[in-house]
Parts: sequence; C-alpha cells; structure tokens
Amino acid sequence: MIRRRFPWFSYLLVATGAVLTVVPFLDMVMTSFKGPGEAGTLPYRFLPEAFDLANYRAAIHQLDLPVLFRNSVIATAVITGSVLLTSSLAGYALAKLRFPGRDFIFRLVLSTMMFPPFLFFIPHFLILVHWPLAGGNDLFGRGGAGLTVSIVALAMPFLVNGFGIFLMRQFMVAIPDEVLEAARIDGAGEFAVWWRIVVPQTKPVLVTLGLLTFVDAWNEYIWALLVSTADPDVMTLPVGIQLLQDYVDPTRTMPIVMAGLVLSILPVLILFLLLQKHYIRGVMLSGLK
Amino acid sequence: MVNATLAPETTERAAHDDPAVGIRGRDRHRRRQVAVAYLFLAPTLLFFAVFLVLPLGFALLLSMSRWSGFALGDIDPVGLDNFTGLFADGSTFLAPILTNTLLFALGTVALALAGSVLVATCIDKLRFQGLWRTLYFLPIVTTVVAVGNVWKYMYEPGGLVNGVLNALGLGSVAFLADPDTALPSVVVVQAWASVGSAILVLTAGLKSVPESYYEAAALDGAGPVTVFFRITLPLLRPSLLFVCVTQFLTGLQSFALISVMTKGGPGDATNVAALEMYRQAFSYGDWGTASAAAFVLFMVVLVVTLAQLWFFRRKGEDA
Repeated sequence: MIRRRFPWFSYLLVATGAVLTVVPFLDMVMTSFKGPGEAGTLPYRFLPEAFDLANYRAAIHQLDLPVLFRNSVIATAVITGSVLLTSSLAGYALAKLRFPGRDFIFRLVLSTMMFPPFLFFIPHFLILVHWPLAGGNDLFGRGGAGLTVSIVALAMPFLVNGFGIFLMRQFMVAIPDEVLEAARIDGAGEFAVWWRIVVPQTKPVLVTLGLLTFVDAWNEYIWALLVSTADPDVMTLPVGIQLLQDYVDPTRTMPIVMAGLVLSILPVLILFLLLQKHYIRGVMLSGLK
Repeated sequence: MVNATLAPETTERAAHDDPAVGIRGRDRHRRRQVAVAYLFLAPTLLFFAVFLVLPLGFALLLSMSRWSGFALGDIDPVGLDNFTGLFADGSTFLAPILTNTLLFALGTVALALAGSVLVATCIDKLRFQGLWRTLYFLPIVTTVVAVGNVWKYMYEPGGLVNGVLNALGLGSVAFLADPDTALPSVVVVQAWASVGSAILVLTAGLKSVPESYYEAAALDGAGPVTVFFRITLPLLRPSLLFVCVTQFLTGLQSFALISVMTKGGPGDATNVAALEMYRQAFSYGDWGTASAAAFVLFMVVLVVTLAQLWFFRRKGEDA
C-alpha cells in the first residue's frame, strides 16, 4: 500500500542526496575552466566565464602530466597483474591441491587481512631502503637508497593480496573435482589444469578482483607520496597534483590543480561506469571499502 | 558448497578403486601435487615473509628502540620508553590526537549511518535503483587527493559552501582554519566519501526483508514511519552492525584525507593517530615513537575487532 502511492518523499530525499554527492564533482569541473582571478574570489560563482581549455594545457605542461600518467599506469598495471596471477595460483593450490601445511597457509592468508595497512608503512619503507644490492646498497643493505629510488618501489608492497587469494580460493572450491580429475587423466599437468580449466572458469571473479585492485592502486596516495619523496622521478598522478597544490599559490593554481584532478580521475571513472556491476559485486564480497 | 565438500572423497575413492592407478602411481601423483602446490604458493609465501613477517618483527623492534634512521647497527634498545613517552604528561598523543581519532571515527560512522539508512530505505522504493546507486558510489572510486582538494577548496571563503551560506544571508565560516570547526568539517567529507558503500550494503540487506512483512503491516494500517521503525530497522540490524563496525575501523585508521586537507592542523585540531605516526617517522625521524604509536593504534583496532566478533557471535546465538 505504501509502495503503490507515488513515493515523492523518497524521490525528494534520494535526489537531494544525489545532488550533494555530485555537486563537488561539478564544482571541480567548473573550477577547472575558471580563468585567473575567477576562482576563490568573492562572491562565489558556480559557472566559469568561458569554457576554456587553458588550465588543462597548463596542467599537462606544469605537472609534467605525461610522466605522472606513465608512472601511475606502470605501477597500477604491475600491481593488478601481479595480484591476479598470485591470487589465482595460490587460490588454486589452497582450493584444489592436497599437501601438508595447507590449512596453516590458508589461516596465514586469512590473518594477513587482519593487519591494518598503517602498521606497515614504516617497516616497508625501511626494508626497501635497506634492500641488498640495489640502488647502491651492499649485500647487507648499507650505503645507498635501496629500492626506494626505483619505480618498482611503488608496486612492491601491493604485489600480493591476502583478500585476493581468499576470494579466488572461495570460488575455486566450487569447481567440481571431477572436471579437474578428467583433465589429469587425459595427461594434463597441474599447470595446464590451472590455465586451461580453472582460469577460464573463474574469469568473472578475476574481472572483479582486477577492477578492485586497479582502482585501489590507481588511487593509492600515502605510499606513493613516501616513495616520491625519495625519488621525484617515480611520482604518480595523485602525488604530483597534491605537491603542486601544496607548494604553489593556491588561489592562482587551483583551477590548474582541478584540471589535473579531472584528468587523473577520468580513467578510473570510465572503467567504473563500464564495469560497475563487477565492481559493486567486489565491494559486496569484500564487505567494506 | 555441498558438492565441493563431497568431491575430494569421491575422487579419492575413485583412485582407490581404479586398478589402473597403482600404489606407486598414486604416490608419485601425490608427491607431484605437493611440489606443484608449493610452487604455486612460492611467490605468495616469499612475499608474506618479506612484507608481512619481517616488517611486523621490525616494527616491534623499532617500537622498543631509539633510532635515528640511518645505520641498522645503531638501533638502541630502550624497552618500553617509547610507549610510556606517548602517555607521559605533556604528550599530545592521548589528547588531542587519540581523542581526535575516536571522534573522527565516531562522527563519520554516525553521519554515514544516518545518511545511508535514510537513502537506502528510500532508494528501495524507487525506480532506476542502479542509477541512483552509481551516483552515490562516485566518491568511492575517486582518489583521496581529488576528494580532499575539492572539499578544501569548497570550504574556502570564496568556495561553494560559503557561497551558499552567503546567498542564504548567513556569514562565512572559516571551516578548516578554525580549530573548533576543522574536525567536524573533515568528518563531513569522510562521511560523504563513504556513504555509498554503506548504501550498497544496506540495500542488499533490505532486499532480504520479505515483502509479506510490509503487506501485513499495510493491512494493519501502519504508516510509513511505523513501518520504518518497527519492521525495516530491526530487520536491518545485521547490515547496520556490519556497516557500523567496518566504517568505524576504517575511520580509526584513515589519515590520507586529513593529510590532504589540513595536515592535522590548525595546531593539532585534526591530528589523528595514524597521521601522527607518519609524521613522527617521516618528518621528525623519530622511528621509535612512530612505531610505538602504530602499535597503540593497532591495539585499539584489535580491541574493536574482537569486540565486534564477540558481539556478532552473541547475536548469532540469540537468533
């Protein structure tokens, strides 16, 4: 009965909330078009005087956007590829192979999800600084800057993901053993069984996990900031834009910062809109975000 | 699931009964499977050794040492000095930093929960639910640098929020510059950014409420408010609890947004434990104090997690 009437109150509330959600994004886009003296001045105006691309050109030029973009793409691609590969391999071993220590390793994987990321910032950084035989270090990790001055540092602490392994394992458990056994009797090795049967069957989960990992890696800020302080050449998009915001006069550069931000969030936004079903499923599976 | 748990037994029996597979063949098969399993797990185990076990040990060692951050040989053990230092008189760690952390987490949960409950129950009655959810989800896939900077800019005297206040005839507010309003201002942003995932969990919870309950309530002449408080809210309790606890944990740990928006300022008005840990280490080079702060916060997180497990288990027994 409640549902048959037109739910005007619900429409009003949901629409108001949606406007509140979207307005900051619109303000970002509008500001990215504002000229000198237009942003941050009183009285506030929502619309720019002209939709001019000057700030976008300035952002690309001043921020060295192509380099930032390249670093972000490399780090994100390496992390996503590695998480998918290691999660699938480890998930298969834990779900379908029988070996001593399996329960212990599975419990270890589960326990890794318990530790909050902030606990690892300091030791991870120090481990990379003292990485043996890298960046001028000797065998005992002394003397140089270690791996912190290398682009691999951006990706290293994220290469394996306990949740990813757990997720893959849960889905692989449901694959009937008979299918795998049949392939083995036909002479397929474990690697072939994994690659030809298990991987194709778990493709939807891989898409979900890949998307979650991609978005997290692309948006990662704190770790990338740490690594970039050691080596500005490996700066990613969020870090580069934040540094410009921090060090240059905010009222003058804000429109340029906004233009950079618009460009930096576009790839993830497009990917999310195209594959949102998979993404939302992933958030439901991981339970939090 | 039933299929999956039964399956190993049946294959084992098949192997036993199959005369073609001799005992030696089965043994070889077993051994090969063990080798393959460890091969498949090798990258994972190696990673966890270097990036999980070693760091935890290292962090624990550092938390009980004084160290300038250069040569590893200079690590100077000082027992629990770093921990007592955090809670000593005159230390800002307990107040305002740890208090801010709790207020930040609590404020975020309260706002996000209230907003998501309202929106989720309303979305459930509308058409195009997917479209609405997508809109609410946009902040979640956006980098914290974008969220933080856009809001920081909106809070400025010439920004959108003050523009709206001025248009309504109200005076401007120095949101992030005033120590009294800075913390609530960042709480609003964190809640804004996390309400989408809460809505997602709650709409899923609402879908599991049987339609017949609503019909029965309608037959009894219950109004929408009564239905909301007597049916929707009680049946949504597991999802609500889940949202509460996960968001609270996230709130306790997060500092990227604050680092982008205020850097903990003005003064320590928005400083939180994780940010303080970061600054002690990477700005002041006090690795020992930083590591100790990290473990204190970890203990807080752990206590909250255990309380959550205990609470859920008790609720489970009740049901």
